[in-house]
Order: sequence, then structure tokens, then C-alpha cells
Amino acid sequence: MSEDTFLSDEFLQQITAAGEADILAGVPTLNNARTIERTVRAIQVGLVKYFPRQRAAIVISDGGSRDGTLNLVKSIAPPDFRTMLAAPPLRTMHTLATPHRAIWGRGGAFRTIFAAADLLRVKACTVISPDLESMTPEWIEGLIRPIYRENVDFVAPIYLRHKFDGLLLKQILSPLIAAAYGYEIQEPYGGELAFSGRLAAQYMNEDVFSKEFMRQGAEVWMTTTAMAGGFRLGQSFLGPKIHAPKSGGLDLAGTIQQVVGALFNCLETHQQFWMSRNQVEAVPVFGFENDMELPAVRVDRKRMFQMFQTGVQELASVHDLILSPDTLQRIREIAKLSDREFCLPDDLWVKTVYEFAASFHHSVINRDHILQALTPLYRGRISSFLHENHEAGITDLGEKLKALRLQYQQSKSYLIERWSASA
Amino acid sequence: MTNPQTDGDPLWYKDAVLYEVHVRAFFDSDDDGIGDFRGLAQKLDYLQDLGANTLWLLPFYPSPLKDDGYDISSYTDVHPSYGTLDDFKLFLDQAHRRGMRVLTELVVNHTSDQHPWFQEARRSQNNPRRDWYVWSSTQERYRQARIIFTDTELSNWAWDPISKSYYWHRFFSHQPDLNYDNPAVLEEVWNIMKFWLDIGVDAFRLDAVPYLVERENTSCENLPETHAVLKHLRRRMDENYPGRFLLAEANQWPEDAVAYFGSGDECQMAFHFPLMPRMFMAVKLEDRKPIMDILQRTPALPENCQWGMFLRNHDELTLEMVTDEERDYLYDEYAKDKLTRLNLGIRRRLAPLLENDRRRVELMNGILMSLPGSPIIYYGDEIGMGDNVYVGDRNGVRTPMQWCGGWNAGFSNADPEQLYLPLISNPVYGYQTVNVESQRRFPHSILSWMKRLIVLRRSSRVFGRGTLEFLTPPNHRVLAYVRELGNERVLVVNNLSSSAQAVELDLRRFKGTIPIEMFGGNPFPRVMDRPYLLTLGPYQFYWFRLRRI
Repeated sequence: MSEDTFLSDEFLQQITAAGEADILAGVPTLNNARTIERTVRAIQVGLVKYFPRQRAAIVISDGGSRDGTLNLVKSIAPPDFRTMLAAPPLRTMHTLATPHRAIWGRGGAFRTIFAAADLLRVKACTVISPDLESMTPEWIEGLIRPIYRENVDFVAPIYLRHKFDGLLLKQILSPLIAAAYGYEIQEPYGGELAFSGRLAAQYMNEDVFSKEFMRQGAEVWMTTTAMAGGFRLGQSFLGPKIHAPKSGGLDLAGTIQQVVGALFNCLETHQQFWMSRNQVEAVPVFGFENDMELPAVRVDRKRMFQMFQTGVQELASVHDLILSPDTLQRIREIAKLSDREFCLPDDLWVKTVYEFAASFHHSVINRDHILQALTPLYRGRISSFLHENHEAGITDLGEKLKALRLQYQQSKSYLIERWSASA
Repeated sequence: MTNPQTDGDPLWYKDAVLYEVHVRAFFDSDDDGIGDFRGLAQKLDYLQDLGANTLWLLPFYPSPLKDDGYDISSYTDVHPSYGTLDDFKLFLDQAHRRGMRVLTELVVNHTSDQHPWFQEARRSQNNPRRDWYVWSSTQERYRQARIIFTDTELSNWAWDPISKSYYWHRFFSHQPDLNYDNPAVLEEVWNIMKFWLDIGVDAFRLDAVPYLVERENTSCENLPETHAVLKHLRRRMDENYPGRFLLAEANQWPEDAVAYFGSGDECQMAFHFPLMPRMFMAVKLEDRKPIMDILQRTPALPENCQWGMFLRNHDELTLEMVTDEERDYLYDEYAKDKLTRLNLGIRRRLAPLLENDRRRVELMNGILMSLPGSPIIYYGDEIGMGDNVYVGDRNGVRTPMQWCGGWNAGFSNADPEQLYLPLISNPVYGYQTVNVESQRRFPHSILSWMKRLIVLRRSSRVFGRGTLEFLTPPNHRVLAYVRELGNERVLVVNNLSSSAQAVELDLRRFKGTIPIEMFGGNPFPRVMDRPYLLTLGPYQFYWFRLRRI
């Protein structure tokens, strides 16, 4: 397939058959044969239960599964709605399935979903991970309703997490995006999200899908693009998010490279927007916030500290090129502390992240190397955070994270300064 | 042309195209403002020209007319407003001469409270007629029976102050139910049937048939005892008057309604009530699912039986046989004006329901005429008449037939104020705009189009008797099916959508045939192994005869 015709004829035929839809649910798959049927059924039930009058379609965009995911999707029969709902659906529901350009990773999956949303002229589109054990039909309502009924353009999820779950989000992504873009979104990297038809059209027009950072960081790009485009934002409580066990996931270094790299790329793309933005807005939250005990997230704090120390030593020459002398000196000093004394404070952490972002922007060295060099420092920050908050309750922790967000915001001028400086 | 006098086909009703008409509403021959049998007889040429071959007459019997004649006070006579019994016989003879059959109403679940039987029954608890009705000293009996006219009735029991007890009524309180546990009642009903069959009536519509018998701890609907009554009447009719048929009004789900066919030994025809609202739903949803779901859920019929299919009739568009979700949807889409809602239904005619959209009117009639069953046209819908929701109850869809743009729409020479109901006179549906005379002049009027459609429908028995096989192209906005009888096959393709559609049909089973488009007679490309591609304009439909040439 050439780039101009990235949709196959077979998929176009499926779109022609579906014709027009009000709501589209997209599922990017890759070897999800074990869980895809349950996911599709949950989506079907959610659509029929909460949007019985709307024309709905499900699009499975597959990245080259070798476990028969795509064939399985095609054979999924509609569920027996009578056992689950008061009445059967009014309408036909189409399930479209197609392979996408695997080379583009999730970016390719999203591009196919955007194209389907555009061609089907949908009003609301949601994307759901294919491997969730905790997804319920209510998620569909939570994600779609703000778009469909409240004229919101982009809905990010809010998951119920253990206090030490999602630390990359809490320490970098969410507060940095809030400080830079001026919108406080808890989960800018959620695998489940929703967007309006007009935002889908905007996404389609962006020339980013072949870029490396879209392979894993498409959600960050979608979130920040919605912010930079002035679209109405919302968040929706979904509950706990539990993925099915799966081998072959990214390690921490890989995750940072993909996700933080995506964010840094987005900062470049949207620099005109965020550099002139000087306010931070809360984003409306929809749905019911549930509360339940979640299993503890186990992190080997001591090992992270050791890896921090090792990283500071081994990557000294790289850090020399990325960080300012002052930051570097402070990091090297705390790296000499014992495990018990060790503390990487908010101000130093924020300064570090900002300097990495600016160095990434200026490409002081190979960008992949910059992101790799951030990993040990992040480990140090996490070790410090866990040490400080080991006994902290949810409220105390909330205050700490709020203070971190403030630190990011107050230091934004430093980011702009470093970003604008010549390399 | 079929001639009822000579055609001995006992299954003639399978090929019938029925036309439902109220004598009162059709034509007034004596200038009193009310239609009558002599008037109806004068308009038989029109009905013959239209192509209807069976006339269904709404009740014309003596009645206080509190329920438009469904409250009968004498079963063997004609209401004086409509003429005399001789007038009826004259009309019947004229209809038969034109090869048309006549179906009349047998309203025997209940009588009017003015009927002499009830007047006698209420006189005392010892009166010989007392046991012809269902009485009780309390309202506690048959508590599981639902109330049908929810807008007007609070109970199925009504207090009779004369005999100081309650009587049972499933409909209005002025319509006491007959007691079929009394053999004398059953015998009298047979006598009534005999009376009209002897005169020459060809068929009966059995009004409110599920409710004939009551039993404690049941819904008092569809009871085995009710079916026993039907079997009894059918047997006697077949023995004495072969070739006549019974049509059941059983507003039930298909699996319950089909019980009224028995083993082919109860009614030969029953209305398919659940299909009708789903046709409206399918066109609004632009999705074939509602139609396919209900027809796939419909059990097979005994060989000698047939569904009665309709889009609209003299009652509200009933929404009893839909789910709550479906009802809400239909109300929201078809009855935004709450005034148009009545009981569990919508009191509107076909054209206003479809927003006077000619394309949708044609599509709906096309589906009606091509699905299995005998189609029924409600008077006035063939010219796209409108309605008047301001005249109360269901009278808004029972206004005078609009024959021309002149005095009283050509319906009557009486003073306009004398008409039994005011004419429709608004600029869109008024008789000056919508009338037979003006439409007769133009080959592309809805009336002329309906005539052509009926001619096509009657050109083949495949529509009335053939099998039905749905095709399931991926495009859900296209409803496609094949009707097949012997060597004859008709492919029907309907675009339920307001936009143009492409559809690929799997017609490999008919490989080698040439589709002949039935309206124009033009051949289409031969069917081959590959999917057969058709494009359809908004709400367009095709009927193809699949011919091996």
C-alpha cells in the first residue's frame, strides 16, 4: 500500500457497508486473541445499553497479529443482548476489522481509526485497549457521553490507581503537560480516550503518523494536540485498569524513551502554543469516582537508588552535555548520600526534566541517548519519592503531587529560557 | 380478473389486495352528510380501477356509535345512516359482479350496552339473558388482565347500578363482554355469521379475538378456550360455506398471533401487528434490522393461512407489540406532537407520518406489497390523505374521502356543517390539493403510481404465496429478499436510507438469470458468480423478476 492509499479496498468496502455512524469505538490490536472477544462484547453491550438509538461501529485496527486476532474478530457473533439488557438493540452494529501499517505501530492503528471516523462522519469516537480485564460496558458511556451530550471534544480517562502506580505520569507527564499547556489532565497517556468527529478530522490532517514517537506515544500527541488546538477537554472516571498479563512489554528505559520522547516531540510541535500560555485550567471531570482497595505496587526502592548512583557515574559525560553545571553538581552531591539520607527534591527534579526537554529540543546529542540518560535520574527520583512517602496516606500524597505540579508551573519560565536559548 | 362466482380457488385470500373502508366515510348518496351503501356502490368502479379485489368494511350495524360502530346494538341489520339491508345487498351484488369480495366485521367479543341482550341481562340477576355477559359482585376477579384503553379506562370492571353488580369489559365500559362460557352465546354468534354468509359476505374480520374468554389467574388473552370457540365457528363455516375466510384481529407477538391459525383450522388470516411499527422504525433508523428481526422471529404458517399486512388502518398506529425502548423511539420520531399520541399508539395517517415524503410513501407501499401476506390499503392513503388530530379519539383518520376539489370534496352534497366529520382542509393535505380527481389526471400522481404497484403485485402469485429468503449484504441500509414460488423468482431490493446507496448482493444461487426490472420491464446485466452490484437512490426500491433466458 502506498501512503496515499493506506486503507485497503476491503476495509473501504466495510466502511461503505457501514455507511455512516454516530459513534465509533476503535480497538488497536496486536496479538490479543485471548482477550479481544471479551473487549468487543463489552463495547457492544456498552453501545447498545447507553446509546441505543445511535448508529455505532467498532473498528479493529490490527498491527499484524500472528495469533489469529483478526480472524477471531471477524467471527465474533453479536452477544445475546436479551440476557444482559432489557431490550435488544434497535440497529445493526457493524464490526470492521483491518490490518494497518505495522511499521507505524500504534500511530498506524490510530490513523486507521481516524480515517474510519472521518469517512463514517462520526460524532464521537473512543479508543479502547484490547487487553483489559477490568473494562466494563460503563466505560463506553463514561468516555462517549461527554463528547456526545456535553459537546466536549476530547476525553481523557481517570483510572483508579494505587498510590504508587503510574509514577511516570505523576512525576513527569501530567505535571509537565499541565505547566506547559495549561490544562490539568491526570492521565494524558491513557489507553482509553475519546474524541469528537471534528477533532478526529483535525488529527487526520496532521502529518505525524510516520514519525517514530507515534509508535508508542500517540496518546500523548492526541492529548496535547487537542489542548493546542483549543478543543474542549474533559476527563472521565473509569475505575481500575487491569491489563491481561502479556509478555514482551517495554522496560522502563523503553517506556521513557517512547512516552517522554513523545512528549518532548509534542513540545516542539506545539511550542508556539505553550510558550505563550501562562495560565493553568482545571479540566472538567465526568462520572462517579469510585473508591476501592487496590493491590500494592511493588517497587524495589533500594535497587532503584543503586541504579541511580550507577547511572550518575556511568553517564557522567552524557549528563555533562545535557544538564546545567548547577543541576549536575546537585545531582552528583545527592548521589553520594546513603540510601537513608538520599532525597531528590521537587525543585531539582523539575529543573532536571526541563533541562532534558531543552537538550532534546536542541539535539545536543542523539535524542535517543538523551532519553536513555534520563532513566537513571528518574529512578533516583522515584526512589526518593517512595522513601519520603512510604507511610503517606492518599490525602498527604495528593498534597505532595500538588506541590510538584506547582513547582513545574512556577519553573516554566526556566523551561522557556532553556528552550529558547541557542544550542 | 378473479370472479368470486366462478373462481373455486379456496385460497383466494392469499392473492387478495384488501381495501379497508368505512361506509360512512366514502360517499354520501342521499345528501345527509354521511356516507352510505348506495354511495359506496357508486364508487366500486374506482376501487376496481385501483386494483383492490377485496373490500373490508368497518362496522355498519345499528349502534350508538360511541366507538365508531364497534359498539353494536343489533347484529343483523344496517345502521340507518348507511342505508338499509337491501342497500347492503345491492352493494354486495355490485361488488361481486366486479370480481370483488367483501369482508365485514364480526364484533362479538362485546356488544354495546344498548344492545337488547345487555338491556335484558341487567334487568335482574335472574333474567335468562343474564348469563350472556360476565358479571361479578367484586372487581377482584381477573386481576391479571391488562387494561387496553389506558387513556380512558381505569378498570376492566364497570358498575351497573341497575343490577347492582360489576360487568366485565376489555374495551370501553359501554362495551360489555359476551360470556362464551354460555353455549347459547356461541350458538347466537354462529346464527349471526350464518345470516351474513347467507347474504353472500365472503369473509369476517374477528374483532378483539384474543379476549373472548376469561379465566382466573391468567391474562385473559389467547386462552385455549378462546381457540376452541374459533375452531368451532370455523368448522361450521367450512362445512356450510366453503371458500369463505376468517381474519383475526389479534394484536400479539408473532408466536402468539400464529396460534390463531391453529392447525389451519381457526382463522385463515391474521394481522401481523408487530411488523407494522417496525417498518416505520426501519425507515427512520435507515436499518433493515427491525424488519428482519421480526420476520425471522415469525413462525411458519399452516399451508392454508396468510398474514394480513398493513401500514395504517382506522385505529392508531399501535405500539403495543414493541419494546419500551422501541416505543420511546417511535414516539420521539413519529409523534413529537403529543396530541398525536393515543393509548399506546399514534393516531396519524400514512402520509403525515412520513412527512408527506412521496419517496418514503412509495417505499413503504413497495415493501408492504412485496413481503409475504395480503396487503391492506386504508382508504385515502392511496391518494396521500392527511388527518385531523383535533377531532378526538381516532376520528382524525376517519374523515370523508376526498374525491375532488369542489363542494365537500365531492363526498356529499349536504351543507359542509352537516358532514359527520369536517373535511381535511389545510393547504398541504386539504381536499383542494389532495383528491382523486386531480390525481387521476396525472400518470405520476401517487394514485396512478399505486395503481401500477397493485397491478404488479397482482401480476404474480409469488407475492401472496411465495417463500421469503432474506439476503444479507453488508450494507444494512438495504433490505433485500427473494420471493420464490415454483419457477418464479422475484428479487426485491429496498434502500431504507435517505441517501444513495451501493449494495453488492450474493446472487450466486441465481447465476445465469437476467433480472427484469418489473416497473419498466428493462433487463439488467445477467447474474454471474461475482457479487451483483446495484446502486439505489434515496428510498428507492427495485422489484426484479429473475428470468432464465
